Amino acid sequence: MIELIGLTKKFGNVTAVNNLSFTVRKGEIFGLLGENGAGKTTTLRMLATMLKPTSGTARLAGIDIIESPEEVRGRVGILFGGESGLYDRLTVYENIQYFGELNDMPVKEIKKRIQKLADAFGMNDFLNKRAGKLSKGMRQKASFARAIVHNPDVLLLDEPTSGLDVGAMREVQTFLMNQKEEGKTILFSSHTMSEVEKLCDRIAVIHKGVLADTGTTNQLFQKYRTQSLEELFVRLAGDGR
Amino acid sequence: MKWKHIMTVFKKELKDIVRDRKTLFSSIVVPIFLMPVIFLLVGGGTARMSEEMTTNITVALSEDSYSPAAQNFLKESLEAQDDEITVVDPVEDPWEAINSKKAKLVVSLDRDFEDKLENSEPFTLKIYYDNSLSRSGGAVGALRSAINKLNGIIAEQRLEALGINPELLTPVVVETENISKTGDGNMMLMMLLPMIIAMLVAVGGIPAATDLVAGEKERMTFEPLLTTRPSRMSILIGKYLTINVFSFASVISTLAGILLAFLINPRSITMGMGQIGGFSLDYGSAVLCVIVTLLLGMTFSGLQLAISTYARSFKEGQTYLSLLMFVVIIPAYSTMMIMPNDIQLYMYLIPVLNTISAFKLVLGGLTNYTGLILAVVTSLVYVALSLLAAASMFRNEKYLFRS
Repeated sequence: MIELIGLTKKFGNVTAVNNLSFTVRKGEIFGLLGENGAGKTTTLRMLATMLKPTSGTARLAGIDIIESPEEVRGRVGILFGGESGLYDRLTVYENIQYFGELNDMPVKEIKKRIQKLADAFGMNDFLNKRAGKLSKGMRQKASFARAIVHNPDVLLLDEPTSGLDVGAMREVQTFLMNQKEEGKTILFSSHTMSEVEKLCDRIAVIHKGVLADTGTTNQLFQKYRTQSLEELFVRLAGDGR
Repeated sequence: MKWKHIMTVFKKELKDIVRDRKTLFSSIVVPIFLMPVIFLLVGGGTARMSEEMTTNITVALSEDSYSPAAQNFLKESLEAQDDEITVVDPVEDPWEAINSKKAKLVVSLDRDFEDKLENSEPFTLKIYYDNSLSRSGGAVGALRSAINKLNGIIAEQRLEALGINPELLTPVVVETENISKTGDGNMMLMMLLPMIIAMLVAVGGIPAATDLVAGEKERMTFEPLLTTRPSRMSILIGKYLTINVFSFASVISTLAGILLAFLINPRSITMGMGQIGGFSLDYGSAVLCVIVTLLLGMTFSGLQLAISTYARSFKEGQTYLSLLMFVVIIPAYSTMMIMPNDIQLYMYLIPVLNTISAFKLVLGGLTNYTGLILAVVTSLVYVALSLLAAASMFRNEKYLFRS
């Protein structure tokens, strides 16, 4: 479960995220929507304990992000961007192994887990290839495997399908559904409305750092008398466009 | 901060950088091969130049003062003073003769030099040389010395003819003897080696430092790393250790390169200025010198890490870190000529200067425990300050996430 309690972040005089409060239930896929600069990435970075909130806090799997940031990171799988962040000079195996070691996993467990992930993602053919020599799709699979090597309870994903082709996007969506089935709590941001509509149990729209509204898509459609997510999005975050 | 996390980061960074041909090449491979090339070319060139100035000094008489008597006088009197001097055929144009290597020096004599010599009057011997050519400009000294000897002999003959003891003109007889226990080449080594080591220790980690934070930011691998369990300090120390390893590896590879140059041509590493030998090493000072050097490397590794964290991209990191070179080069060159006895106490307190001073001291066979201990203590403070700078950059969200 993810619980945001008055989460606020200021950069100098600019308030990037303002008093954000909502809850993501266990085993739920929750979509975070907003225009560029709305504060989605800042929110996710605060939840990932990369940025320190100016005020407010959040709890992930019951752990406070300010009191126990290291413990939070150990329980959370984070992926910012679709396939970026791999060490090109390390093999896929070494990339995943490194994150397993950083998350305090025993060597034997890492080995087993990598094999399991390689089977699940179909990575056996390129597991020992250097990441720099992989195709975008292969890199994307490796990135996902690395993010969940320590079997986290919570997944934070910032635009995971950004820049991916249709086939690769479908694989991400399948991955998210599988994770949900395994009982993971998933918070992800996206610009692709169809993807959000298809995957998310509930959504939150943020506009200029403030929570515009939250609920299931159907609840929000009824409340704002709209029939599409695009329309709803423009209504809540479009500055009257 | 956990040691396990530090070592995980450290081992991964080492593996990653070792696989980076660019960093490995510039930090380790290049010095091993570049040093022998530099020393053999520069040292060999200097040795050749020195040889050209002191051996086979060809002297020609200018045509306008030529006479068979003048030619004979030069031949008999100058060649007798110095075996390396040879009087060659007369030449018309001194500049052309020197530049076409017909002679290193050209001289002219007064036309009536014979009469003046006969009448015990002074005559003029004018030396033409080209200072832009070391073989000519450098040979003037040898010719002057031969002429001085000739003057002495002629003066002696004249005094004896007058019945005066020539010793009356020499109330003090000067005798010199070099009692140095070290080889002549040690002085050159004391000038070059401390400077090279201090500079390399200070800048050797730059390729690794640039890659480890600024490079990671650019490749977008830094943010995922920060989302893992280890604290930022564990990540920082892991990277810091890697930079240290590379800065010392670059020193070791450079010393290996210098050793290679020495094995190929021992005179090359003293730039042809004599042989190395007769070191009297004080082990206590040597150990303190190594500690000061290690601490200098650690100080600069911390600074490099701070600068690399501040930089937005690899290129920006390279630009900022290259400025660090000036911080090292200025004190290194300004103290190059200082000899061990000239080292002042304050020099042990200043980074870079402290390492250079310590090395000069040890190579010169001197001891100054007060200076060396002061250098160690102040260096520890500098290490702490540079690490604090790196840590404050690593904690600062503004610098950490800017791209």
